[in-house]
Amino acid sequence: MTETFVPPLLPKSFGGGVDPVSRAAAERRKEEWNAAVESVKAQSFWIETGKRFLRNRTGVVAAAIVVALALSAIFAPLISPYDPLIGQPVDRLKDIGTPGHILGTDEQGRDMLSRILFGGRLSLLAGFVPTVAAAVIGTLIGVIAGMVRGVVGTVLMRFMDMLYAFPAILLAIAVGSALGPGLTNTIIAVTIVYIPPVARVAQSSTRRVVVQEFIEAARLSGASRARIAWSQILPNVLNDIIVYASGLVGVAMIIAASLSFLGLGSAPPAPEWGYMLNSLRGELFTTPLVTIVPGFFIFLTSVAFNLASDALREAMDSRL
Amino acid sequence: MTEIPENTMINTTEAGLAVAPPPVEQPSATLPERPLMELLNVSKTFTVRSGGKRLTLSAVDGVSLRVREGKTLGIVGESGCGKSTLARVITGLHSATSGEMIFDRAQIPASGKRPKEVIQQMQMVFQDPSSALNPRATVGESIAFPLRVQGMSRKDVDARVTKVISDVGLPASYSGSYPHQLSGGQRQRVNIARALALQPRMVVLDEAVSALDKSIQAQVLNLLTDLQRDYNLTYVFISHDLNVVEYISDEVVVLYLGQVVEHAPAKELWENPQHPYTKLLLSSIPSMDPDDSTRDQPLDKDSSEIPSAINPPSGCRFRTRCPMAMDICAQQAPPPIETSDGHLVACHLYTEGSQAAA
Amino acid sequence: MLRLIIRRILMAVPILIGVSIIVFLLMSVVPGDPEAGLVPDDATPAERQAIRHQLGLDQPLPIRYFHWAVSALHGDLGYSTLRRREVSDLLQQAWGNTFVLAAVSAIFGIALGLLLGYLAGTRRGKVVDRVVSIFSLGGLSIPSFFLAILLLGVLSGQLRLFPSGGATFDEGWGVAIQSLVLPVLSGAMITMAITARVTRAAIVDVFSADFVETLRAKGLTEFGVRMHVLRNAISPVLTTSGVQIGALLGGSVLVETIFRWPGMGLLLYTAISTRDLEVVQGTTLVIALTFVVINLVVDLVQAAIDPRVRGAVS
Repeated sequence: MTETFVPPLLPKSFGGGVDPVSRAAAERRKEEWNAAVESVKAQSFWIETGKRFLRNRTGVVAAAIVVALALSAIFAPLISPYDPLIGQPVDRLKDIGTPGHILGTDEQGRDMLSRILFGGRLSLLAGFVPTVAAAVIGTLIGVIAGMVRGVVGTVLMRFMDMLYAFPAILLAIAVGSALGPGLTNTIIAVTIVYIPPVARVAQSSTRRVVVQEFIEAARLSGASRARIAWSQILPNVLNDIIVYASGLVGVAMIIAASLSFLGLGSAPPAPEWGYMLNSLRGELFTTPLVTIVPGFFIFLTSVAFNLASDALREAMDSRL
Repeated sequence: MTEIPENTMINTTEAGLAVAPPPVEQPSATLPERPLMELLNVSKTFTVRSGGKRLTLSAVDGVSLRVREGKTLGIVGESGCGKSTLARVITGLHSATSGEMIFDRAQIPASGKRPKEVIQQMQMVFQDPSSALNPRATVGESIAFPLRVQGMSRKDVDARVTKVISDVGLPASYSGSYPHQLSGGQRQRVNIARALALQPRMVVLDEAVSALDKSIQAQVLNLLTDLQRDYNLTYVFISHDLNVVEYISDEVVVLYLGQVVEHAPAKELWENPQHPYTKLLLSSIPSMDPDDSTRDQPLDKDSSEIPSAINPPSGCRFRTRCPMAMDICAQQAPPPIETSDGHLVACHLYTEGSQAAA
Repeated sequence: MLRLIIRRILMAVPILIGVSIIVFLLMSVVPGDPEAGLVPDDATPAERQAIRHQLGLDQPLPIRYFHWAVSALHGDLGYSTLRRREVSDLLQQAWGNTFVLAAVSAIFGIALGLLLGYLAGTRRGKVVDRVVSIFSLGGLSIPSFFLAILLLGVLSGQLRLFPSGGATFDEGWGVAIQSLVLPVLSGAMITMAITARVTRAAIVDVFSADFVETLRAKGLTEFGVRMHVLRNAISPVLTTSGVQIGALLGGSVLVETIFRWPGMGLLLYTAISTRDLEVVQGTTLVIALTFVVINLVVDLVQAAIDPRVRGAVS
């Protein structure tokens, strides 16, 4: 960020004087002073971050792709040319570019474009919801563990360590297979996978903040722990958590797709991208292009999320 | 010095301090102001873990002192002598392990939450201008926070914030600025403004100017003395910088390894230091006069390391570095002796019977 | 150093116990009766009860966990009624195969990632840097199962370069190595991508440190300086490598399934789809324990080469 001009301390007086020259000089000093004061305008961290993000072209493009995908998923029922669940067996496995089926049809003759649009709802939900849920729960756990020393903090973090001791996808698979298939269970599984790393980030961030003197100042005002956590600590750990969590959305989507690829995610015939990829796998050698369409969309969304996350990280890394 | 009549003081303690005021000593003739705060034998120990062993660190040990209303008590000592811990014990950020604290004639509960009145009347200015302000809050929000916690109405909060910002010599427009936009001196002014927002009677300043440049230091010190005069503030001024302490203090307490070794009016202490440690400290001040680089020869026999508060020396804690150490120093901790009016020193050189040895 | 090793091992013990508890609990909440496979459909409730009792299923959870953990410690992970084999037998074979796949992938991914990250970090802002960053972003964003299908389609389907199915060393080294190529490529992509990113960041970081200037000022050759930088950049790479190997172990479920590589991943996948709970439980436990042990080893290696890490512990 650019160095802000720091005006000098408030002069006791701008000077006066009897002769016109010294009066003019005093007037000029006063004007300079006022201009300097004017230049110190409120520059909120979040406004600054937003400005910096908008200056990053790659980030803006990536964010635009994310928004476009989200909008097309939300309005899927309005813009889909066909029903995603009903196919015409005579139209099986039409290639990409077939009139009426831009993205072709699948092995049951269902329109791929419609399925991709509807599938986007499931994939984006599976990417977003667990990330947000884990960010909220993980932050709560991490901030508590970071503030409260002693038994409570240790027990919380040791429990997190135990969950963290599983490879992410394995834990998702284990939880997913325990809970059974379905979108909700996938979301729960991915949330459980993500809580420990978020809690770790929140905890280390909190420990960095709690030792600062403004926390002591807040305690001195008689504020309760909860109030300090909410008004003093949270705003200072939030950016770390947002940067970290934004990088998780893409991976969450991939894990969710992996689960449904393995038959543990959304139940067929729901058009989940990972499941679509798996069910089309058999046609890889006959209609390769149609087969890779769902995979391509997982890839595209994940790239867009990762790029947007990188841009956000850069925009926030101002060390204010 | 004139005696301040009892009834002119803002008396906010009537509401709710249940503890009966303990008997207060008769003020001595030369220092007539009654103490606003008293510490009696206050100790603070921490448990530290090292190599699997639990060790006790006694950061503050049996400290008794008096802070007179409207005056400044300076606390000096080397780093690690427990100054900052003492500041935090006084303000209640740390609860004392033992001892009594009396504020405005009422006893402060040793641990647990302090009554609202005490919180409000005792505030603190912190050392590090960059970490003492919430980087995500505007100056105005930082100053308003304690007021909101104390349940003040929004309108009153805004008025008070505007008032204190101008009190510390900053333009009102700074209320919307963020700490990173301010210079170190300006941040320290905001820091002071936040401490003043609750209109406290006593302010503990923990190395409040140490992080600033010399020129800025002078400005902030002048501001502090102006504010003290305008609002009849009582200061506890903690610093390792003896020049600064001499400038601002009425009385000075010298701490060594968590214990008070000398407690005297500032002028008296500088003119007539009695404890060997005080003499050592004063002799090590960089002098302003180029012709005399040190006032006395350094007292340290050998520049050996300062003993640790984890395992302090027996008897007098200073004896391992004291050029005048005697046999008795290892056996008994010296009690504080009043050598002249208001001048207390804890050293066997001044106790009865060991006079001859000195 | 010895004390450090002992400390770290002792610290890993509660984690190991916690992991086993979590695995046990997860499998205990699975809907459906575990004894279903053993009981004839027309069994009376009394017969059902008898079998439950025989299996110890009527006992409280902590006691069941204790029995399970004790037999697991003796190497007994139960019996797969579906496959009619001891679970530990199944796992022994599968573990070796997964180990080979994961180890080759890890070495390949980390080595290539180090190289790419080094190239990008030392030529910051140049074409190489951009290519590497696009490549690693792609590697980070592509699901391994999608990459696997792409590789299958192109290299196996169109070009017929590699076999699509897994073969093990039982069928001869040549075949085995050939059939390792595609699984390694698809599994190692993310390892490579993350290693490249971390290495690049570390190199950029180290290069901007003061000591590099000092080295140059002392007259060290540019090659010497680079070796120094690389050595300092290796620690963060090592830190992530534990997690990377974990990702490879977890990702093996997908990669092995697609390429029919007979490792723990394929075993887990088949067990999940046939609801063979004993196998699911045993496999999950073994993969997780392997991961814990690998992390322990990575920790110790790091402590051995980086004095800062050592200092932070003791």
